[in-house]
Amino acid sequence: MMSTRSRFILATLCALVLAGIVHIVTVRAIPYFAEGDAFSQARKSESLDHPLRIHSLAVAGTPAPPEEWLPVPDPAVAVGVCAYDLEDGPMRVSARVSSLNLSIAVHNRKGAFYAVTDQAAVRGSLDLVIMTRAQFDEALASADENQVNRDVRIIAPDREGFAVVRVIAGLPSQNAMANEAVDAVSCSIDAPDEPTGPDAKPGG
Amino acid sequence: MNARTRIMFGAIIPRTRRTPKGADESLGARGARISGALGGFLRRTSRTGFVLYALALGAALGLASADFATSGGYPVGGTTIGAWTAWAKTGSVDADPYSRAVNARRGEIPLAIGEGLLLTAATDDDGRRLDASCTYAVGGAVPPARAWTLTIGGRGAVDPAARPVREAFTSTEILREADDRFVITIAKEVQSGNWLPMPRPSGPVRLALRLYDTPVAASVGSLDRNTVPAITRLGCK
Repeated sequence: MMSTRSRFILATLCALVLAGIVHIVTVRAIPYFAEGDAFSQARKSESLDHPLRIHSLAVAGTPAPPEEWLPVPDPAVAVGVCAYDLEDGPMRVSARVSSLNLSIAVHNRKGAFYAVTDQAAVRGSLDLVIMTRAQFDEALASADENQVNRDVRIIAPDREGFAVVRVIAGLPSQNAMANEAVDAVSCSIDAPDEPTGPDAKPGG
Repeated sequence: MNARTRIMFGAIIPRTRRTPKGADESLGARGARISGALGGFLRRTSRTGFVLYALALGAALGLASADFATSGGYPVGGTTIGAWTAWAKTGSVDADPYSRAVNARRGEIPLAIGEGLLLTAATDDDGRRLDASCTYAVGGAVPPARAWTLTIGGRGAVDPAARPVREAFTSTEILREADDRFVITIAKEVQSGNWLPMPRPSGPVRLALRLYDTPVAASVGSLDRNTVPAITRLGCK
């Protein structure tokens, strides 16, 4: 029979071990239960065909839009998000290159798994197609050998996620342009039974 | 556990019933008797009691420490380069669980490795904490990047009425010297050249250097003190 004191010490040690387990489990569970995280908040943009601007640069005379939840945004970078659900088909993110630096990052719940800047653009446009492995295989199987495909195909590890568009305004006079550049990006669903844009037409 | 507690209570009740017999006992003796009974109760319930104690303490400590570790900035995962800390992996899928939890709680969208790199500084080059009552010179070299921004901020929300005239410099805006180097002066009073006003009258401040489209994001280990801007304290009031 153990004395009360040794029992107390044993109980405290057990408590510390338990605290460690609770700590690890809690930290790992936070992203899945958080409601204010980027993944949950980006869902609002799912019905849009352009990015939802979540950080707009100050332009005189225009009020700041309400959708702003980045904690410490870069005051010189306009940010927009496009949520996707690959259940509906591959997600196409198209951006035209302008004089401003633009980057697109693709995130899932765990973090960014792909990022590309406008330097990867071909003939002034950047076309990202985010797809599942099955959709990628299907696209490969149905590809026309004679046709040149300029899409950047990315295989997403998960069905759901979001793309982040960032445009840098080097000077305050470019703020309005940066905001417009974010809005000008298109985020659309590539319907599987439709030709994917003008490039995909037979003989094109 | 229920059955066990009931048995233990059963053992206690006859004992407590016996107490009225000694009605002429002094208050102290009665107190000793009650505490003795309580001690006996504790001794009997020790196993359940200690299990409950361990569970409660473990849960409380675990939850409190998890909250503490994820409520502020990133607790781990940075690379220290002089006064700066580079956060290369906080936005990637192989980020550590703490960074991921911090991002989730703050609603942050960190820069991905192919997109850019965030560096933060809370101290000057001599290790003293950046304070709003001091004047600093930030300058020298910046790691190769297509564009960069240097932002100053303090903890907590910014008062919209007292928003400073400038919170950041971009690589395009900066005035450079003939040798392509630059100096940003952070001070309360207006300065010549690149003046970044202190965002608040007092308290600690932080600097954030964001490099966009930079090759160093993938190899943060290659950065050293000479490739990041130096933060020099010029004086304090």
